[in-house]
Amino acid sequence: MFSHRWLPLLLVAPLMLLVVLFFYIPVFQAFYWSFFLEQPFGGGSQFVGLENFKRVLSDPEFWMAGWRTIVFMLTASLLAVVVPLMLAIAADRRIALSFPARNILVWPKGVAGASIGVVFAFLFNPFVGLMAPFNTLFPGAWNPGIDGTDAFITLVAAHVWSGIPFNFVILLAGLRSIPHTLTQAAAIDGAGPWRRIFDVQLPLIMPQLFLTFVLEFTESITSVFALIDTITKGGPGGSTTLLVYKIYVDGFSGFDLSGASTQTAILMVFVLLLAACQFFYLGRRINYER
Amino acid sequence: MVEKARSINITATLLLIIGIVYIVGPLYLTLSTASQSYEYMLRNGLAWIPGGELFANMSKVIHETRIPIQMLNSMTVAFSNALATCALSFLSAYAIVYFRIRWAGIVFALILATIMLPLDIRVITTYQVASNIFSPLNAVLDFTGLNSLIADIFGTPVHLELSVLDTRFGLVAPLVAHGTGTFLFRQFFLTLPKDLFKAARMDGAGPIRFLIDILLPLSRTSVASLFVLTFLSGWTQYLWPLVGASTPDMQTAVVGLARLVPDADGQVPDFPMIMAGAVLVSLVPLAMIALLQRYLVQGLVLSEK
Repeated sequence: MFSHRWLPLLLVAPLMLLVVLFFYIPVFQAFYWSFFLEQPFGGGSQFVGLENFKRVLSDPEFWMAGWRTIVFMLTASLLAVVVPLMLAIAADRRIALSFPARNILVWPKGVAGASIGVVFAFLFNPFVGLMAPFNTLFPGAWNPGIDGTDAFITLVAAHVWSGIPFNFVILLAGLRSIPHTLTQAAAIDGAGPWRRIFDVQLPLIMPQLFLTFVLEFTESITSVFALIDTITKGGPGGSTTLLVYKIYVDGFSGFDLSGASTQTAILMVFVLLLAACQFFYLGRRINYER
Repeated sequence: MVEKARSINITATLLLIIGIVYIVGPLYLTLSTASQSYEYMLRNGLAWIPGGELFANMSKVIHETRIPIQMLNSMTVAFSNALATCALSFLSAYAIVYFRIRWAGIVFALILATIMLPLDIRVITTYQVASNIFSPLNAVLDFTGLNSLIADIFGTPVHLELSVLDTRFGLVAPLVAHGTGTFLFRQFFLTLPKDLFKAARMDGAGPIRFLIDILLPLSRTSVASLFVLTFLSGWTQYLWPLVGASTPDMQTAVVGLARLVPDADGQVPDFPMIMAGAVLVSLVPLAMIALLQRYLVQGLVLSEK
C-alpha cells in the first residue's frame, strides 16, 4: 500500500465534502430543528424542547400517515419482491421466453417513477382508462378519485411495476450462481424441478432475498413520493397521504419547518431501526456459505 | 441434464408471458394513446390500436411546452451526475483501498451510511442547506463565539450567503453525495490480485501513475456500469428537481411531464398529448437500456455484492 501524507486526503476530500454538506448536515439539522420552533424564511428560531414532538405525536393525521406508510411498505414491498422472485425462477429455466424476458423485464429501470405515475393515472382513470368499460356496466365500481382503496391499489401496482428490474436482476443473478452440481445431486436424489425450487433454489438465494427485502423496505417508503404526487396527490381525502408526502406538504406548502423536521427525524429513526432489526435478527440466520 | 419438466416449463412460460404483458402493456398503451387524437380518446377512451397522430402530438409537446429545454436539463443533470459520481467515488475508493491510512475504515463507513437514508427522506433540510451552502459555516462561527470576536475587531460578524437552488450544480450535487459508487469500486479493487500492485511498485510506479495506467484501464467495465446506473438515476429523479429548481426552464423533463397534467378536476386532460410527452421523456433512458443493457445488469449486480 502507498504511504503518502496528503494525497489520500486530497482524493477523498471532494466526495466527503459533498457527503458532509448534503447528507450529514441535513440529517443533523432535521434532528436539531425538531427541538426548535423555526420561522419560515429565516425569521429566527426558539428552543422549545420536546414541544414539537408533543405536537406531532398528538396529531391524529401523523398517526394515520404513519399507519398508511407501514401498510404500504408491507404490501408493496412484499409484492415487489415476490413477483420478481417468481419471474426470476421462471426466467432461470431454459425455455424459449427466458431470453427476451431477461431483456424486457429491465426496461422499467429507464422509466421515472413520476413518468409511470402519469401513465398509471391515465390507465386507471375511471372515465377513459382500462376500467372505463367495466364502470359503464357497474357504475361506480372503480374510481380512485373517490375510493381510497382503489387509489391505494393503483399506487401499489405502479410501485411493483417500477420495482421489478432491480429485484429481478439481483434474484436472477443469485439463482444463476447456484452450482450445477447441487442441482444435479438433488435431481439424482429424486427431487423434481418443483421440489428443487423449495429445497435448493430458495434456501440458496436467501442472501439475495434478504438484501432485496432490506432495500425494498426503505425504497417503498421513499420512492412512493413520485407516484403519490403524480397519481393521487395524497387523496382522496388524505387516504394515500403517506409520511414522505405529508412531510413534503407540511414543509413546502404549509411552511411548518419544525413540524416537517420533527416528522423527518421520526421517519429517519424508523428507517434506521428497521434496517438494524433486519440485520440483527434476520441477517444472522442467513447462511452465506455455499 | 435431461428430465421431465413439462409442467414447470409451461407454468414458467405462462408466468413470463404475464410478466412481459405487465411491463410492456402500460408502455404499449402509452404509445398507442399518444398516436391518437384528443377527440378519439374522448369518444373511445384509451387506444388499443395505434393511430396516425403520434408526430402531431409530439410536435404539440415540443412547441407548446417546455419539455425540449427540460430534456436538455435532464441530459445535463444525468450526465454530470454520472460523471461526477464515477470520478469522485473512483478517487475515494482508490484512497481507501490503496493507501496506508488509519482513518480508511471510518471514512468508508461514513460514505456508506448515505445509502441508508435516501435524499427523499431528508429533502426538507437538504433544501435549507442548498438555499445557503454557507449556513453550516455561519452556524459554526456563531456557535464557537468566533463571530463575536470578528465583530469586535472588524465591526460586523461574518455572514456568508450562497444559494445553489435553481442552479445545475444544486440539482446535481446532492445526488452525488451517495455511497453506492464508492462501495462498488471498493469491492472491485479488492478482487484485483495483490501482485498487480507489487509489480507496479517494483517497476517504480507512483500513486498517480498506478491510478492512471493500471487501475483505470482495468476498471473500464465497472466505470461503465456505474455510469449507466447513475445516469438513469439522475434522469429519473423527481422530488429533488421538483424542489431544487423553481423556474420551469431549470426543471428536469420528468418534473415538466408531471406538470403537464392539470391540477383541477373537471375537463378530461389532453391525455394523448401527455402520453406523447411521456414517450419523449422516456426515450433517452430506454434507448440507453436497450444499447447498454449488459452494463446496467452488471452495475445492478455489482452494487449489491
